[in-house]
Amino acid sequence: MFEIEGLFIKFLLNFFSNLEINTFLRSPQNTATIIGGLIAISGALLGTFLLLRGMSLTSDAISHTVLLGIVVAFMVLTQLLGQEPDLSSPWLIIGAAAAGVATVVLTEAIYRSGLVKQDAALGLAFPLMFAIAVILVSRFVQDVHMDEDAVMIGEIGVAWADTNSHCLENCEAVTITPDSPEAEFSRQCTNCRELGIGPRDEGAVFSEQCSNCGEYSPAQAWQAGLLETEPLLIFWPKSITVMTLITLLTLAFVLVFFKELKLSTFDPALAAALGFRPGVLHYALMVTISLVAVGAFEAVGSILVIAFFIIPPAAAYILTDNLSRMLVISSLIGAAGAYFGYDLARGSVLGLFQVDAVLRGLNRAFDLKLAETWNSSISASMVLMMFLFFFAAWVLSPKYGLLSTWLRRQNQEKNFDIQVILAHIFNHEGTDKEREELAVGTLYHHFRWPASTTRRMIDQLLSNDLIYIKDGIVRLTSDGKERVEVFRETQLARETVIQ
Amino acid sequence: MLPGFSPEDRRVWLLIGAITLITLLFLPYSQFVLGVRYDYTLRTVAIGGSLLGIISGVLGCFAVLRQQSLMGDALSHAALPGVAIAFLLAGRELGFLLIGAGVASWLGVQFIRLLTDTTRIKQDTAMGIVLASWFAAGIALLAYIQARPDASQAGLDTFIFGQAAAIVEKDVRLIAGIGLATMFLLVLFWKEFKLITFDAEFAGANGFRVNLFSTLLSTLIVVAIVLGLQLAGVIMMVGMLIAPGIAARQWTNKLTQMVTLAAIFGGFSGGVGAIISALDTDLPTGPMIIVVAFLLVVISISIAPQRGLIWQLLRQRQDQKRFAAQMVLDDLFHYAYDHDSLSTVVPESFLKGMRGSAVKQGLQQLVNKDQVQPVNGGWQLTEAGRQAAADNATNTLMWDLYRQYNQTLDLPLIAEDRQRDIRELLPETAIHKLEKILQEELA
Repeated sequence: MFEIEGLFIKFLLNFFSNLEINTFLRSPQNTATIIGGLIAISGALLGTFLLLRGMSLTSDAISHTVLLGIVVAFMVLTQLLGQEPDLSSPWLIIGAAAAGVATVVLTEAIYRSGLVKQDAALGLAFPLMFAIAVILVSRFVQDVHMDEDAVMIGEIGVAWADTNSHCLENCEAVTITPDSPEAEFSRQCTNCRELGIGPRDEGAVFSEQCSNCGEYSPAQAWQAGLLETEPLLIFWPKSITVMTLITLLTLAFVLVFFKELKLSTFDPALAAALGFRPGVLHYALMVTISLVAVGAFEAVGSILVIAFFIIPPAAAYILTDNLSRMLVISSLIGAAGAYFGYDLARGSVLGLFQVDAVLRGLNRAFDLKLAETWNSSISASMVLMMFLFFFAAWVLSPKYGLLSTWLRRQNQEKNFDIQVILAHIFNHEGTDKEREELAVGTLYHHFRWPASTTRRMIDQLLSNDLIYIKDGIVRLTSDGKERVEVFRETQLARETVIQ
Repeated sequence: MLPGFSPEDRRVWLLIGAITLITLLFLPYSQFVLGVRYDYTLRTVAIGGSLLGIISGVLGCFAVLRQQSLMGDALSHAALPGVAIAFLLAGRELGFLLIGAGVASWLGVQFIRLLTDTTRIKQDTAMGIVLASWFAAGIALLAYIQARPDASQAGLDTFIFGQAAAIVEKDVRLIAGIGLATMFLLVLFWKEFKLITFDAEFAGANGFRVNLFSTLLSTLIVVAIVLGLQLAGVIMMVGMLIAPGIAARQWTNKLTQMVTLAAIFGGFSGGVGAIISALDTDLPTGPMIIVVAFLLVVISISIAPQRGLIWQLLRQRQDQKRFAAQMVLDDLFHYAYDHDSLSTVVPESFLKGMRGSAVKQGLQQLVNKDQVQPVNGGWQLTEAGRQAAADNATNTLMWDLYRQYNQTLDLPLIAEDRQRDIRELLPETAIHKLEKILQEELA
């Protein structure tokens, strides 16, 4: 990990100074947005295939057990192997991802036993895995990264602070021993703690101890003032590296196996017949999803991550019918959700208005005594933003949106009405009953519409130049005749086809 | 009601009685063996826990049977913003919090229905959307509430992981009241609920108002979820809802029995989970309840009569054994028959080549029955063995004839089971007819 980071930083230094990079990354907003965006993109890519395969809630299963995998791997590493792993340790990630895949296998096995239905097997398995994980966390793990809050909402807001420091120039590690000229000494009571006495008691024994001895990395040495020339240092948040690698892996998986994924999603039988091994692909997909869920765990917790898999693809699904476009759109929506979500957590809704103002308004209107500063969870706000985009897509989608569906229906009704009037005129024009059936004033009788509606329709037909009025009788223009004939022909053709 | 009991029914009811007794034994056991002291607080917590367990166990049966388990998951997550908003408006008053939770869940259901009705999004995705975004809204509101300077928000966290210790006597009374009301409705509309659960189409065709009762049942399930939240928490609630039902389902095929058993299992896991977590502040209640309930599921799935995995396994083993003996006997007989003398010694390698590892078992059983004997490295049929093998062969032939002639001879219909002696299954007249044909064919 560390070496890859180093290479990437060297690459970046071609374009930016180290100061610029450090300032950029030290802003919580930039780091949180980058991490959130990466999670959103990889989640959206994989979630699209989950949605199309009708397996959206599998991400729910995986994210719940990934927690158990992390906790168990964490306990094994610390207590059996004596390591001090953090959440970017590759072993932790691999172990947890394996646990995620194991759950999928387990739930499939449970409902294949035939004793428990599929939904019940899922509903039973996730809470159990999660329950065991929570019990282990609250009982055995004493670590800042593992409390219950972190499980719920993640720590994306402080991800900027957990860094690897990279030194590129003037790197000088310093070791201070009691013989060094820089060593500082202080008098300390050596037996106070074991005897339980204060330093002022008579029995207290003192000795000189070196207070600043030890090894200093270049960064620490510079901060402690032990170096004369400033080393070239970059502080790089660990989560960014992990998430970038996972996102690249996801991207590679989707690009390389695009054809196979597409075929096995839409026609598994054909895929199997052509030798594409849909089963293998299925588990490869599950492995990738588990990896993303593990990578996302530290940032957004193990429940909210479901949203990153489900909501952006659902929004894209409403917007388009094309798989490639759906992948791009869902990634964009996810990334936008991450970007604007940070602002929402700090109280700004898309830059349009402030939540604080709404709270003030509510207080003024209903006297609720609410606190008037909105400062909330970043990860939850990202999810809310995605939901907002989903909602917008649902209402406004040109093809499947609520609005366009409503408009289309209105239009169809109107077109139908027009056809009815034109056909009526066409049928009776030039017959004996012409005067009776087609008089402008009484036309509405024949359709059982209100007079005003009929009047409006006639006005519209007149302005479209489909009919004209002569001697108080409506007649078709040549355009109108043509329209009726075209309609009759298509209708006839359709009926023939049906027969 | 009593005269209608079949022996099967009576057996299951007795079993349920026994299970009840065993679960009740937990009380003296914990008191005298584990040394738990049931003081006032612990009594309140235990009673509250069992009540909530009973309510969610009973209503969870319907969620399980209607295959809506995951709806329970979505609804419990969706309750969180309601709790937070109710808290903002009214403070920590359980009644208001529950109303808020109920309203939020209910809005979640409606949103899921609206989404699936107006778009091509499937129900599972719609549930995922509601689950995640409602939950996020709840988390965002909780974070906002926790940033407030006054400390009165303590206790809201309990809705996430559940906290049995937070239950006080007033809450128990509220739970008992609402619980009684839901049980009353359940008994009142028992027939209707049963019908829409098992055959909604039939119910609709017969003029039952399926939508109305379906909504009513969903509402009751929402009530159970909302009540259970303070004990199990939003994440684990679905387990508390459906685990007792799944466990109960293994023991019986009757709804009444299933619901009764689910109430017992629910009450047990709710009560025990609450007690354990109340005794140790480190243990959140929800996870404890889930673990207890899941143990009940595992036990039920393993040992429940007939359906249980252990019985299935035993039955399989028995079948295998029976088949093994019969197969080996058949093989010996045919080998010897083909070699012109029924006393031919058959080499073991031939048998192994035919049947593989089952041979050893089969031979052992045949030796026990004195039907075969080892003769210099091979096996030979004894007198009894020849008789048994011949009988088997005749039986097989009779079955073949039965299958061929049962319609032309107008024989009684029986299920084909070639492992059994056909003479035991058919009346004598039918056997005579078959034997006559057999004689003719052999001649």
